[in-house]
Amino acid sequence: MGRIIEEIYVWRLPVRLYHWINALCMVVLFVTGMYISAPLLSPPLGEAVWYKGMAWWRYMHFVFAFVFIANFLFRLYWALFGGDKYARFGGFRPWSPSWWGKPFREQVESYLFLRSDEPNYIGHNPVAALAHFLFIFCGSTFMIFSGLAMYGENNPSGFSETLFGWMIPLFGGSYTLHFTHHLGSWMLPIYVIMHLYAVVRHDVVDRTSVTSSIITGYKHKVEEEPV
Amino acid sequence: MQSNQTFADVFKARGVSRRDFLKFCSLTSVYLGLSPSMVPSIVEAMEKKPRTPVIWLHGLECTCCSESFIRSSHPSIEDLLFNMISLDYDDLLSAAAGTQLEDQRHRIMKEYKGKYILAVEGNASTKDDGVYCMVGGDSFLNTLKETAADAAAIIAWGSCASFGCVQNAHPNPTGAAPVSEIIKDKPIVKVPGCPPISEVMTGVITHFHTFGILPELDRLGRPKAFYNTRIHDKCYRRAFFDAGMFVPSFDDDATRKGWCLYKMGCKGPTTYNSCSKIQWNGGTSFPIGSGHPCIGCSEPNFWDRGPFYERLAEVPFLGSDSNADKIGVIAVGAAAAGAAAHAAVTAVKKAKSEKHDNNDKA
Repeated sequence: MGRIIEEIYVWRLPVRLYHWINALCMVVLFVTGMYISAPLLSPPLGEAVWYKGMAWWRYMHFVFAFVFIANFLFRLYWALFGGDKYARFGGFRPWSPSWWGKPFREQVESYLFLRSDEPNYIGHNPVAALAHFLFIFCGSTFMIFSGLAMYGENNPSGFSETLFGWMIPLFGGSYTLHFTHHLGSWMLPIYVIMHLYAVVRHDVVDRTSVTSSIITGYKHKVEEEPV
Repeated sequence: MQSNQTFADVFKARGVSRRDFLKFCSLTSVYLGLSPSMVPSIVEAMEKKPRTPVIWLHGLECTCCSESFIRSSHPSIEDLLFNMISLDYDDLLSAAAGTQLEDQRHRIMKEYKGKYILAVEGNASTKDDGVYCMVGGDSFLNTLKETAADAAAIIAWGSCASFGCVQNAHPNPTGAAPVSEIIKDKPIVKVPGCPPISEVMTGVITHFHTFGILPELDRLGRPKAFYNTRIHDKCYRRAFFDAGMFVPSFDDDATRKGWCLYKMGCKGPTTYNSCSKIQWNGGTSFPIGSGHPCIGCSEPNFWDRGPFYERLAEVPFLGSDSNADKIGVIAVGAAAAGAAAHAAVTAVKKAKSEKHDNNDKA
Protein backbone atom coordinates (compact mmCIF):
# COMPACT_ATOMS: atom_id res chain seq x y z
CA MET A 1 0.00 0.00 0.00
CA GLY A 2 1.25 3.46 -0.84
CA ARG A 3 1.66 6.29 1.59
CA ILE A 4 -1.44 8.21 2.63
CA ILE A 5 -1.09 11.69 1.17
CA GLU A 6 -4.40 13.21 2.23
CA GLU A 7 -7.14 12.51 4.73
CA ILE A 8 -10.64 13.84 4.04
CA TYR A 9 -13.43 13.72 6.60
CA VAL A 10 -16.36 12.66 4.39
CA TRP A 11 -18.98 10.84 6.42
CA ARG A 12 -19.86 12.75 9.54
CA LEU A 13 -21.14 10.92 12.60
CA PRO A 14 -24.90 11.38 11.83
CA VAL A 15 -24.37 9.86 8.38
CA ARG A 16 -22.41 6.90 9.76
CA LEU A 17 -24.96 6.30 12.49
CA TYR A 18 -27.77 6.45 9.92
CA HIS A 19 -25.91 4.00 7.71
CA TRP A 20 -25.43 1.34 10.39
CA ILE A 21 -28.85 1.69 11.99
CA ASN A 22 -30.37 1.50 8.53
CA ALA A 23 -28.32 -1.58 7.66
CA LEU A 24 -29.32 -3.33 10.88
CA CYS A 25 -33.00 -2.42 10.47
CA MET A 26 -33.16 -3.56 6.85
CA VAL A 27 -31.59 -6.92 7.61
CA VAL A 28 -33.88 -7.52 10.58
CA LEU A 29 -36.91 -6.35 8.59
CA PHE A 30 -36.04 -8.64 5.67
CA VAL A 31 -35.54 -11.68 7.88
CA THR A 32 -38.61 -11.11 10.08
CA GLY A 33 -40.71 -10.21 7.02
CA MET A 34 -39.74 -13.44 5.26
CA TYR A 35 -40.52 -15.35 8.43
CA ILE A 36 -43.97 -13.75 8.67
CA SER A 37 -44.75 -14.72 5.09
CA ALA A 38 -43.62 -18.32 5.59
CA PRO A 39 -43.43 -19.18 9.29
CA LEU A 40 -41.59 -22.32 10.32
CA LEU A 41 -43.57 -24.95 12.10
CA SER A 42 -42.63 -25.29 15.71
CA PRO A 43 -45.82 -26.62 17.21
CA PRO A 44 -45.62 -26.05 20.94
CA LEU A 45 -47.21 -28.44 23.37
CA GLY A 46 -50.08 -27.01 25.30
CA GLU A 47 -52.39 -24.06 25.03
CA ALA A 48 -51.94 -21.43 22.34
CA VAL A 49 -52.28 -18.60 24.83
CA TRP A 50 -48.87 -19.35 26.32
CA TYR A 51 -46.94 -19.02 23.07
CA LYS A 52 -45.99 -16.10 20.86
CA GLY A 53 -44.32 -18.00 18.00
CA MET A 54 -45.75 -15.73 15.33
CA ALA A 55 -46.60 -12.66 17.39
CA TRP A 56 -42.94 -12.21 18.41
CA TRP A 57 -41.75 -12.07 14.79
CA ARG A 58 -44.45 -9.60 13.88
CA TYR A 59 -43.66 -7.51 16.94
CA MET A 60 -39.97 -7.40 15.98
CA HIS A 61 -40.91 -6.47 12.43
CA PHE A 62 -43.00 -3.55 13.70
CA VAL A 63 -40.42 -2.37 16.26
CA PHE A 64 -37.61 -2.32 13.71
CA ALA A 65 -39.93 -0.78 11.15
CA PHE A 66 -40.53 2.20 13.41
CA VAL A 67 -36.80 2.55 14.14
CA PHE A 68 -36.22 2.34 10.38
CA ILE A 69 -38.81 5.08 9.74
CA ALA A 70 -37.39 7.37 12.44
CA ASN A 71 -33.89 6.83 11.08
CA PHE A 72 -35.08 7.53 7.53
CA LEU A 73 -36.78 10.77 8.63
CA PHE A 74 -33.63 11.78 10.47
CA ARG A 75 -31.58 11.20 7.30
CA LEU A 76 -34.04 13.35 5.31
CA TYR A 77 -33.64 16.09 7.90
CA TRP A 78 -29.87 15.78 7.68
CA ALA A 79 -29.94 15.93 3.89
CA LEU A 80 -32.13 19.04 3.88
CA PHE A 81 -30.92 21.00 6.89
CA GLY A 82 -27.70 19.33 8.02
CA GLY A 83 -25.48 21.60 5.96
CA ASP A 84 -23.32 18.57 5.20
CA LYS A 85 -21.97 18.88 1.68
CA TYR A 86 -21.43 15.14 1.21
CA ALA A 87 -24.86 14.16 2.54
CA ARG A 88 -27.27 16.64 0.96
CA PHE A 89 -29.79 16.24 -1.84
CA GLY A 90 -28.41 19.26 -3.66
CA GLY A 91 -25.94 17.23 -5.70
CA PHE A 92 -28.64 14.98 -7.13
CA ARG A 93 -30.40 16.73 -10.01
CA PRO A 94 -31.59 14.11 -12.50
CA TRP A 95 -33.76 16.67 -14.30
CA SER A 96 -30.76 18.84 -15.11
CA PRO A 97 -28.61 18.29 -18.21
CA SER A 98 -25.58 19.34 -16.18
CA TRP A 99 -26.19 16.25 -14.05
CA TRP A 100 -27.10 13.85 -16.85
CA GLY A 101 -24.26 15.18 -18.91
CA LYS A 102 -20.55 14.62 -18.67
CA PRO A 103 -20.03 13.42 -15.07
CA PHE A 104 -22.81 10.83 -15.24
CA ARG A 105 -21.80 9.64 -18.69
CA GLU A 106 -18.17 9.34 -17.69
CA GLN A 107 -19.06 7.30 -14.62
CA VAL A 108 -21.31 4.96 -16.60
CA GLU A 109 -18.58 4.53 -19.22
CA SER A 110 -16.11 3.76 -16.51
CA TYR A 111 -18.37 1.07 -15.05
CA LEU A 112 -18.87 -0.37 -18.53
CA PHE A 113 -15.09 -0.52 -19.08
CA LEU A 114 -15.38 1.97 -21.92
CA ARG A 115 -12.70 4.20 -20.45
CA SER A 116 -9.52 3.28 -18.67
CA ASP A 117 -9.39 6.01 -16.02
CA GLU A 118 -11.68 6.05 -12.98
CA PRO A 119 -13.44 9.35 -12.26
CA ASN A 120 -12.89 10.05 -8.60
CA TYR A 121 -15.45 11.54 -6.23
CA ILE A 122 -15.05 12.34 -2.58
CA GLY A 123 -18.76 11.81 -1.86
CA HIS A 124 -21.13 9.74 -4.00
CA ASN A 125 -20.48 9.51 -7.71
CA PRO A 126 -23.51 10.28 -9.96
CA VAL A 127 -24.33 6.62 -10.61
CA ALA A 128 -24.18 5.85 -6.88
CA ALA A 129 -26.43 8.86 -6.23
CA LEU A 130 -28.97 7.51 -8.72
CA ALA A 131 -28.84 4.04 -7.16
CA HIS A 132 -29.36 5.52 -3.71
CA PHE A 133 -32.24 7.62 -4.95
CA LEU A 134 -33.97 4.59 -6.48
CA PHE A 135 -33.26 1.96 -3.85
CA ILE A 136 -32.89 3.90 -0.63
CA PHE A 137 -35.14 6.91 -1.14
CA CYS A 138 -37.90 5.53 -3.41
CA GLY A 139 -37.57 1.97 -2.10
CA SER A 140 -37.74 2.97 1.56
CA THR A 141 -40.61 5.37 0.90
CA PHE A 142 -42.63 2.65 -0.80
CA MET A 143 -41.87 0.07 1.88
CA ILE A 144 -42.74 2.57 4.64
CA PHE A 145 -46.01 3.71 3.04
CA SER A 146 -47.19 0.21 2.17
CA GLY A 147 -46.02 -1.10 5.54
CA LEU A 148 -47.88 1.57 7.47
CA ALA A 149 -51.00 0.96 5.37
CA MET A 150 -50.91 -2.72 6.32
CA TYR A 151 -50.06 -1.91 9.93
CA GLY A 152 -53.16 0.32 9.96
CA GLU A 153 -55.33 -2.66 9.04
CA ASN A 154 -55.05 -3.80 12.65
CA ASN A 155 -56.90 -0.70 13.78
CA PRO A 156 -59.42 0.61 11.23
CA SER A 157 -59.87 4.39 11.34
CA GLY A 158 -56.77 4.67 13.53
CA PHE A 159 -53.75 6.87 12.83
CA SER A 160 -51.94 4.65 10.34
CA GLU A 161 -55.09 3.60 8.52
CA THR A 162 -56.31 7.18 8.15
CA LEU A 163 -53.00 8.47 6.79
CA PHE A 164 -51.88 5.53 4.67
CA GLY A 165 -55.02 3.43 4.10
CA TRP A 166 -55.38 4.90 0.59
CA MET A 167 -52.52 2.63 -0.47
CA ILE A 168 -54.85 -0.39 -0.28
CA PRO A 169 -57.35 0.59 -3.01
CA LEU A 170 -54.46 2.08 -5.01
CA PHE A 171 -52.91 -1.37 -5.25
CA GLY A 172 -56.27 -3.06 -5.83
CA GLY A 173 -56.79 -4.58 -2.39
CA SER A 174 -55.05 -5.67 0.76
CA TYR A 175 -53.70 -8.90 -0.71
CA THR A 176 -52.06 -7.18 -3.67
CA LEU A 177 -50.48 -4.63 -1.36
CA HIS A 178 -49.08 -7.42 0.82
CA PHE A 179 -47.77 -9.09 -2.31
CA THR A 180 -46.11 -5.91 -3.60
CA HIS A 181 -44.56 -5.21 -0.19
CA HIS A 182 -43.19 -8.75 -0.19
CA LEU A 183 -41.83 -8.39 -3.71
CA GLY A 184 -40.34 -5.01 -2.76
CA SER A 185 -38.42 -6.55 0.13
CA TRP A 186 -36.24 -8.36 -2.42
CA MET A 187 -34.76 -4.95 -3.24
CA LEU A 188 -32.65 -5.37 -0.11
CA PRO A 189 -30.48 -8.36 -1.06
CA ILE A 190 -30.16 -7.04 -4.61
CA TYR A 191 -29.05 -3.67 -3.31
CA VAL A 192 -26.68 -5.17 -0.75
CA ILE A 193 -24.90 -7.22 -3.40
CA MET A 194 -24.51 -4.21 -5.69
CA HIS A 195 -23.50 -1.94 -2.81
CA LEU A 196 -20.90 -4.24 -1.30
CA TYR A 197 -19.47 -5.11 -4.67
CA ALA A 198 -19.18 -1.44 -5.70
CA VAL A 199 -17.55 -0.51 -2.38
CA VAL A 200 -14.98 -3.29 -2.49
CA ARG A 201 -14.25 -2.66 -6.14
CA HIS A 202 -13.71 1.05 -5.58
CA ASP A 203 -11.46 0.27 -2.67
CA VAL A 204 -9.38 -2.03 -4.82
CA VAL A 205 -9.35 0.18 -7.90
CA ASP A 206 -9.23 3.70 -6.44
CA ARG A 207 -7.64 2.85 -3.09
CA THR A 208 -9.58 5.59 -1.28
CA SER A 209 -10.38 3.33 1.71
CA VAL A 210 -14.08 3.76 1.07
CA THR A 211 -14.86 0.59 3.03
CA SER A 212 -13.35 1.81 6.30
CA SER A 213 -14.66 5.34 5.71
CA ILE A 214 -18.16 4.34 6.83
CA ILE A 215 -16.68 3.40 10.22
CA THR A 216 -14.01 6.07 10.67
CA GLY A 217 -15.53 8.76 8.47
CA TYR A 218 -12.23 9.37 6.64
CA LYS A 219 -11.39 8.69 3.04
CA HIS A 220 -7.75 8.60 2.06
CA LYS A 221 -5.91 9.60 -1.03
CA VAL A 222 -3.05 7.20 -1.50
CA GLU A 223 0.18 7.81 -3.28
CA GLU A 224 0.70 5.82 -6.45
CA GLU A 225 2.17 2.53 -5.47
CA PRO A 226 5.68 2.00 -6.74
CA VAL A 227 5.51 -1.02 -8.99
CA MET B 1 -99.58 -6.74 -1.30
CA GLN B 2 -99.89 -2.97 -1.10
CA SER B 3 -96.61 -1.30 -1.80
CA ASN B 4 -97.12 1.58 0.63
CA GLN B 5 -97.45 -0.60 3.73
CA THR B 6 -94.99 0.01 6.53
CA PHE B 7 -92.78 -2.74 7.96
CA ALA B 8 -94.83 -2.66 11.17
CA ASP B 9 -98.03 -3.28 9.21
CA VAL B 10 -96.53 -6.30 7.58
CA PHE B 11 -95.21 -7.65 10.89
CA LYS B 12 -98.68 -7.22 12.37
CA ALA B 13 -100.41 -8.86 9.43
CA ARG B 14 -98.06 -11.83 9.81
CA GLY B 15 -98.87 -12.19 13.48
CA VAL B 16 -95.59 -10.98 14.90
CA SER B 17 -95.98 -9.53 18.37
CA ARG B 18 -94.78 -6.02 19.17
CA ARG B 19 -92.23 -7.54 21.51
CA ASP B 20 -90.71 -9.55 18.66
CA PHE B 21 -90.85 -6.50 16.43
CA LEU B 22 -88.83 -4.48 18.96
CA LYS B 23 -86.41 -7.38 19.32
CA PHE B 24 -85.91 -7.34 15.58
CA CYS B 25 -85.23 -3.60 15.66
CA SER B 26 -82.59 -3.92 18.42
CA LEU B 27 -80.99 -6.88 16.66
CA THR B 28 -80.78 -4.86 13.44
CA SER B 29 -79.16 -1.97 15.29
CA VAL B 30 -76.55 -4.37 16.65
CA TYR B 31 -75.83 -5.74 13.17
CA LEU B 32 -75.45 -2.19 11.90
CA GLY B 33 -73.09 -1.33 14.72
CA LEU B 34 -75.36 1.44 15.99
CA SER B 35 -75.59 2.58 19.58
CA PRO B 36 -78.67 1.56 21.63
CA SER B 37 -79.88 5.16 21.46
CA MET B 38 -80.55 4.64 17.74
CA VAL B 39 -83.07 1.84 18.35
CA PRO B 40 -86.03 4.28 18.63
CA SER B 41 -85.17 5.71 15.18
CA ILE B 42 -85.25 2.23 13.72
CA VAL B 43 -88.55 1.49 15.43
CA GLU B 44 -89.99 4.75 14.16
CA ALA B 45 -88.79 4.18 10.62
CA MET B 46 -90.15 0.64 10.60
CA GLU B 47 -93.51 1.82 11.89
CA LYS B 48 -94.04 4.96 9.88
CA LYS B 49 -92.03 4.95 6.70
CA PRO B 50 -93.60 3.22 3.73
CA ARG B 51 -91.63 0.26 2.49
CA THR B 52 -88.85 1.07 0.10
CA PRO B 53 -89.54 -0.16 -3.40
CA VAL B 54 -86.75 -2.34 -4.71
CA ILE B 55 -86.02 -3.42 -8.24
CA TRP B 56 -83.74 -6.43 -8.25
CA LEU B 57 -81.93 -7.13 -11.50
CA HIS B 58 -79.98 -10.24 -12.43
CA GLY B 59 -77.10 -10.02 -14.88
CA LEU B 60 -74.12 -12.30 -15.37
CA GLU B 61 -74.32 -14.19 -12.11
CA CYS B 62 -74.91 -17.54 -10.45
CA THR B 63 -77.79 -16.48 -8.15
CA CYS B 64 -75.78 -17.38 -5.06
CA CYS B 65 -76.56 -13.91 -3.66
CA SER B 66 -80.29 -14.57 -3.91
CA GLU B 67 -79.72 -18.04 -2.48
CA SER B 68 -77.93 -16.53 0.49
CA PHE B 69 -80.60 -13.87 0.89
CA ILE B 70 -83.49 -16.32 1.06
CA ARG B 71 -81.55 -18.99 2.93
CA SER B 72 -81.75 -17.45 6.38
CA SER B 73 -83.69 -20.30 7.97
CA HIS B 74 -84.24 -19.39 11.56
CA PRO B 75 -85.20 -17.24 13.28
CA SER B 76 -87.54 -16.48 10.45
CA ILE B 77 -87.14 -12.76 11.11
CA GLU B 78 -84.89 -12.43 8.06
CA ASP B 79 -87.54 -14.21 6.03
CA LEU B 80 -90.05 -11.66 7.16
CA LEU B 81 -87.76 -8.88 6.14
CA PHE B 82 -87.42 -10.47 2.76
CA ASN B 83 -91.16 -10.38 2.42
CA MET B 84 -91.30 -6.83 3.64
CA ILE B 85 -89.06 -4.96 1.34
CA SER B 86 -91.40 -3.97 -1.39
CA LEU B 87 -89.61 -6.18 -3.86
CA ASP B 88 -91.49 -5.01 -6.91
CA TYR B 89 -89.39 -6.56 -9.60
CA ASP B 90 -87.17 -9.59 -9.44
CA ASP B 91 -87.06 -11.72 -12.56
CA LEU B 92 -85.95 -14.68 -10.45
CA LEU B 93 -88.65 -14.64 -7.78
CA SER B 94 -91.62 -12.99 -9.52
CA ALA B 95 -94.66 -15.04 -10.37
CA ALA B 96 -95.22 -12.90 -13.43
CA ALA B 97 -93.09 -13.23 -16.52
CA GLY B 98 -92.46 -11.71 -19.90
CA THR B 99 -94.15 -8.45 -20.91
CA GLN B 100 -96.26 -8.45 -17.75
CA LEU B 101 -93.13 -8.33 -15.60
CA GLU B 102 -91.28 -5.82 -17.74
CA ASP B 103 -94.33 -3.51 -17.59
CA GLN B 104 -94.16 -3.74 -13.81
CA ARG B 105 -90.53 -2.60 -13.87
CA HIS B 106 -91.41 0.38 -16.03
CA ARG B 107 -94.36 1.23 -13.79
CA ILE B 108 -92.16 1.28 -10.66
CA MET B 109 -89.54 3.35 -12.45
CA LYS B 110 -92.20 5.90 -13.33
CA GLU B 111 -94.23 5.88 -10.10
CA TYR B 112 -91.25 5.94 -7.73
CA LYS B 113 -88.95 7.99 -9.89
CA GLY B 114 -85.81 8.81 -7.93
CA LYS B 115 -87.06 6.88 -4.88
CA TYR B 116 -86.57 3.20 -5.56
CA ILE B 117 -83.49 1.18 -4.79
CA LEU B 118 -81.90 -0.70 -7.60
CA ALA B 119 -80.39 -3.94 -6.38
CA VAL B 120 -78.06 -5.47 -8.92
CA GLU B 121 -76.96 -9.06 -8.70
CA GLY B 122 -74.26 -9.96 -11.19
CA ASN B 123 -72.55 -7.70 -13.66
CA ALA B 124 -72.89 -6.73 -17.29
CA SER B 125 -70.97 -7.88 -20.31
CA THR B 126 -69.69 -4.81 -22.13
CA LYS B 127 -67.97 -6.44 -25.09
CA ASP B 128 -69.81 -6.47 -28.45
CA ASP B 129 -72.64 -4.25 -27.13
CA GLY B 130 -73.30 -6.61 -24.26
CA VAL B 131 -74.62 -9.52 -26.35
CA TYR B 132 -73.16 -12.04 -23.89
CA CYS B 133 -75.93 -11.35 -21.41
CA MET B 134 -79.42 -10.93 -22.84
CA VAL B 135 -82.37 -10.65 -20.46
CA GLY B 136 -85.96 -10.01 -21.55
CA GLY B 137 -84.99 -9.39 -25.15
CA ASP B 138 -82.48 -6.67 -24.41
CA SER B 139 -78.87 -6.67 -23.35
CA PHE B 140 -78.39 -6.49 -19.60
CA LEU B 141 -76.09 -3.53 -20.19
CA ASN B 142 -79.03 -1.51 -21.57
CA THR B 143 -81.47 -2.68 -18.91
CA LEU B 144 -79.01 -1.74 -16.18
CA LYS B 145 -78.39 1.74 -17.57
CA GLU B 146 -82.11 2.32 -18.12
CA THR B 147 -83.14 1.19 -14.63
CA ALA B 148 -80.27 2.97 -12.90
CA ALA B 149 -81.18 6.32 -14.44
CA ASP B 150 -84.05 7.01 -12.01
CA ALA B 151 -82.87 5.03 -8.97
CA ALA B 152 -82.22 6.73 -5.61
CA ALA B 153 -79.28 4.46 -4.98
CA ILE B 154 -77.79 1.23 -6.20
CA ILE B 155 -76.87 -1.77 -4.13
CA ALA B 156 -74.30 -3.95 -5.84
CA TRP B 157 -74.95 -7.44 -4.47
CA GLY B 158 -72.03 -9.79 -4.31
CA SER B 159 -68.54 -9.78 -5.74
CA CYS B 160 -69.84 -9.85 -9.34
CA ALA B 161 -71.67 -6.54 -9.12
CA SER B 162 -69.07 -5.02 -6.77
CA PHE B 163 -65.75 -6.03 -8.30
CA GLY B 164 -66.40 -8.39 -11.21
CA CYS B 165 -65.76 -11.80 -9.67
CA VAL B 166 -65.19 -14.84 -11.90
CA GLN B 167 -66.72 -13.27 -15.03
CA ASN B 168 -64.05 -10.62 -15.25
CA ALA B 169 -61.19 -12.79 -14.03
CA HIS B 170 -58.35 -13.03 -16.49
CA PRO B 171 -58.83 -13.13 -19.53
CA ASN B 172 -62.42 -11.80 -19.18
CA PRO B 173 -63.73 -12.95 -22.59
CA THR B 174 -67.08 -11.12 -22.34
CA GLY B 175 -65.70 -7.80 -21.08
CA ALA B 176 -67.68 -8.20 -17.85
CA ALA B 177 -67.56 -5.01 -15.80
CA PRO B 178 -68.78 -4.30 -12.26
CA VAL B 179 -71.67 -1.88 -11.78
CA SER B 180 -69.43 0.95 -10.60
CA GLU B 181 -67.62 0.94 -13.96
CA ILE B 182 -70.91 1.29 -15.88
CA ILE B 183 -72.97 3.62 -13.67
CA LYS B 184 -70.96 6.62 -12.56
CA ASP B 185 -73.59 9.14 -11.41
CA LYS B 186 -75.43 7.23 -8.64
CA PRO B 187 -74.43 6.38 -5.10
CA ILE B 188 -73.43 2.73 -5.05
CA VAL B 189 -73.08 0.47 -2.05
CA LYS B 190 -70.88 -2.51 -2.69
CA VAL B 191 -71.82 -5.60 -0.75
CA PRO B 192 -69.13 -8.02 -1.92
CA GLY B 193 -68.84 -11.68 -1.09
CA CYS B 194 -69.51 -14.81 -3.06
CA PRO B 195 -72.22 -14.68 -1.83
CA PRO B 196 -72.56 -11.94 0.81
CA ILE B 197 -73.91 -12.93 4.22
CA SER B 198 -77.71 -12.68 4.33
CA GLU B 199 -77.74 -10.55 7.51
CA VAL B 200 -75.33 -8.15 5.83
CA MET B 201 -77.67 -7.86 2.86
CA THR B 202 -80.76 -7.22 4.99
CA GLY B 203 -78.75 -4.87 7.21
CA VAL B 204 -77.80 -2.63 4.31
CA ILE B 205 -81.42 -2.35 3.16
CA THR B 206 -82.60 -1.65 6.71
CA HIS B 207 -80.05 1.13 7.06
CA PHE B 208 -81.26 2.81 3.92
CA HIS B 209 -84.87 2.36 4.93
CA THR B 210 -84.27 3.74 8.43
CA PHE B 211 -82.16 6.77 7.72
CA GLY B 212 -82.96 7.46 4.08
CA ILE B 213 -79.25 7.54 3.31
CA LEU B 214 -76.72 4.90 2.47
CA PRO B 215 -74.59 3.48 5.28
CA GLU B 216 -71.10 4.89 5.82
CA LEU B 217 -68.78 3.39 3.24
CA ASP B 218 -65.09 2.54 3.33
CA ARG B 219 -62.52 3.39 0.68
CA LEU B 220 -63.68 0.57 -1.59
CA GLY B 221 -67.36 1.58 -1.30
CA ARG B 222 -68.35 -1.14 1.18
CA PRO B 223 -70.50 -0.48 4.27
CA LYS B 224 -68.09 0.05 7.18
CA ALA B 225 -70.45 -1.66 9.59
CA PHE B 226 -69.77 -5.03 7.96
CA TYR B 227 -66.51 -4.62 6.05
CA ASN B 228 -64.44 -2.52 8.45
CA THR B 229 -62.32 -5.30 9.86
CA ARG B 230 -60.56 -8.30 8.45
CA ILE B 231 -61.76 -11.84 9.00
CA HIS B 232 -58.35 -12.43 10.60
CA ASP B 233 -58.93 -9.79 13.31
CA LYS B 234 -62.06 -11.46 14.61
CA CYS B 235 -61.11 -15.03 13.79
CA TYR B 236 -61.55 -17.50 16.63
CA ARG B 237 -58.34 -19.23 15.47
CA ARG B 238 -56.32 -16.01 15.85
CA ALA B 239 -54.72 -17.29 19.06
CA PHE B 240 -53.15 -20.14 17.06
CA PHE B 241 -51.82 -17.63 14.52
CA ASP B 242 -50.15 -15.52 17.19
CA ALA B 243 -48.77 -18.63 18.89
CA GLY B 244 -47.31 -19.90 15.61
CA MET B 245 -49.44 -23.04 15.63
CA PHE B 246 -50.22 -23.72 11.97
CA VAL B 247 -51.86 -26.46 9.97
CA PRO B 248 -49.18 -27.80 7.58
CA SER B 249 -51.47 -30.06 5.52
CA PHE B 250 -55.11 -31.03 5.48
CA ASP B 251 -54.53 -34.59 6.70
CA ASP B 252 -52.49 -33.49 9.69
CA ASP B 253 -53.21 -33.82 13.37
CA ALA B 254 -53.10 -30.02 13.62
CA THR B 255 -56.11 -29.87 11.28
CA ARG B 256 -58.14 -31.90 13.74
CA LYS B 257 -56.99 -29.65 16.56
CA GLY B 258 -58.25 -26.64 14.64
CA TRP B 259 -55.01 -24.69 14.38
CA CYS B 260 -54.49 -21.65 12.17
CA LEU B 261 -54.89 -22.18 8.40
CA TYR B 262 -52.44 -19.40 7.45
CA LYS B 263 -49.97 -21.77 5.82
CA MET B 264 -52.80 -23.43 3.90
CA GLY B 265 -53.30 -20.17 2.02
CA CYS B 266 -55.98 -18.64 4.25
CA LYS B 267 -56.78 -15.15 2.91
CA GLY B 268 -58.36 -14.09 6.23
CA PRO B 269 -55.51 -11.63 6.94
CA THR B 270 -56.27 -9.70 3.76
CA THR B 271 -60.05 -10.08 3.54
CA TYR B 272 -62.58 -7.59 4.83
CA ASN B 273 -65.87 -9.25 5.73
CA SER B 274 -68.08 -10.23 8.65
CA CYS B 275 -67.83 -14.02 8.33
CA SER B 276 -65.94 -14.41 11.59
CA LYS B 277 -68.43 -12.16 13.42
CA ILE B 278 -71.93 -12.82 12.04
CA GLN B 279 -71.13 -16.21 10.46
CA TRP B 280 -73.40 -18.03 8.06
CA ASN B 281 -76.78 -19.76 8.09
CA GLY B 282 -77.99 -18.10 11.25
CA GLY B 283 -74.61 -18.20 12.96
CA THR B 284 -73.97 -21.89 12.35
CA SER B 285 -70.42 -21.67 11.00
CA PHE B 286 -68.17 -20.09 8.39
CA PRO B 287 -65.46 -21.50 6.11
CA ILE B 288 -62.61 -21.29 8.65
CA GLY B 289 -64.93 -22.70 11.29
CA SER B 290 -65.41 -25.71 9.02
CA GLY B 291 -61.66 -26.18 8.58
CA HIS B 292 -61.26 -24.55 5.18
CA PRO B 293 -59.00 -21.54 4.58
CA CYS B 294 -60.71 -18.31 3.56
CA ILE B 295 -60.41 -17.76 -0.21
CA GLY B 296 -60.98 -14.02 0.10
CA CYS B 297 -64.20 -14.06 -1.96
CA SER B 298 -65.18 -10.53 -0.94
CA GLU B 299 -61.91 -8.97 -2.10
CA PRO B 300 -61.39 -7.41 -5.55
CA ASN B 301 -60.14 -9.82 -8.23
CA PHE B 302 -59.78 -12.71 -5.82
CA TRP B 303 -59.84 -15.25 -8.66
CA ASP B 304 -56.64 -13.80 -10.05
CA ARG B 305 -54.87 -13.85 -6.68
CA GLY B 306 -54.55 -17.60 -6.54
CA PRO B 307 -53.75 -20.32 -5.91
CA PHE B 308 -56.27 -20.56 -3.06
CA TYR B 309 -54.14 -22.94 -1.01
CA GLU B 310 -50.90 -20.98 -1.01
CA ARG B 311 -49.90 -17.84 0.85
CA LEU B 312 -48.00 -16.16 -1.94
CA ALA B 313 -49.86 -15.37 -5.14
CA GLU B 314 -48.55 -16.34 -8.53
CA VAL B 315 -47.49 -13.60 -10.89
CA PRO B 316 -49.79 -14.20 -13.86
CA PHE B 317 -47.83 -12.44 -16.59
CA LEU B 318 -44.71 -14.47 -15.80
CA GLY B 319 -46.31 -17.88 -16.12
CA SER B 320 -48.17 -20.00 -13.64
CA ASP B 321 -45.15 -21.15 -11.65
CA SER B 322 -43.74 -17.81 -10.54
CA ASN B 323 -44.30 -15.96 -7.30
CA ALA B 324 -42.65 -13.03 -5.52
CA ASP B 325 -39.98 -15.18 -3.86
CA LYS B 326 -38.99 -16.96 -7.06
CA ILE B 327 -38.68 -13.61 -8.85
CA GLY B 328 -36.69 -12.26 -5.92
CA VAL B 329 -34.28 -15.18 -5.86
CA ILE B 330 -33.73 -14.94 -9.62
CA ALA B 331 -33.14 -11.17 -9.40
CA VAL B 332 -30.67 -11.61 -6.53
CA GLY B 333 -28.91 -14.35 -8.47
CA ALA B 334 -28.72 -12.09 -11.51
CA ALA B 335 -27.29 -9.25 -9.39
CA ALA B 336 -24.69 -11.57 -7.88
CA ALA B 337 -23.76 -12.99 -11.28
CA GLY B 338 -23.53 -9.47 -12.68
CA ALA B 339 -21.27 -8.35 -9.84
CA ALA B 340 -19.06 -11.42 -10.26
CA ALA B 341 -18.77 -10.88 -14.01
CA HIS B 342 -17.97 -7.22 -13.48
CA ALA B 343 -15.33 -8.14 -10.90
CA ALA B 344 -13.78 -10.61 -13.32
CA VAL B 345 -13.57 -8.03 -16.10
CA THR B 346 -12.14 -5.49 -13.64
CA ALA B 347 -9.46 -7.98 -12.57
CA VAL B 348 -8.54 -8.83 -16.15
CA LYS B 349 -8.33 -5.14 -17.11
CA LYS B 350 -6.27 -4.36 -14.03
CA ALA B 351 -3.87 -7.21 -14.73
CA LYS B 352 -3.55 -6.07 -18.33
CA SER B 353 -2.91 -2.44 -17.46
CA GLU B 354 -0.36 -3.41 -14.82
CA LYS B 355 1.40 -5.55 -17.36
CA HIS B 356 1.20 -2.61 -19.74
CA ASP B 357 2.63 -0.27 -17.07
CA ASN B 358 5.43 -2.70 -16.36
CA ASN B 359 6.22 -2.95 -20.05
CA ASP B 360 6.27 0.85 -20.23
CA LYS B 361 8.70 1.01 -17.36
CA ALA B 362 10.88 -1.75 -18.68
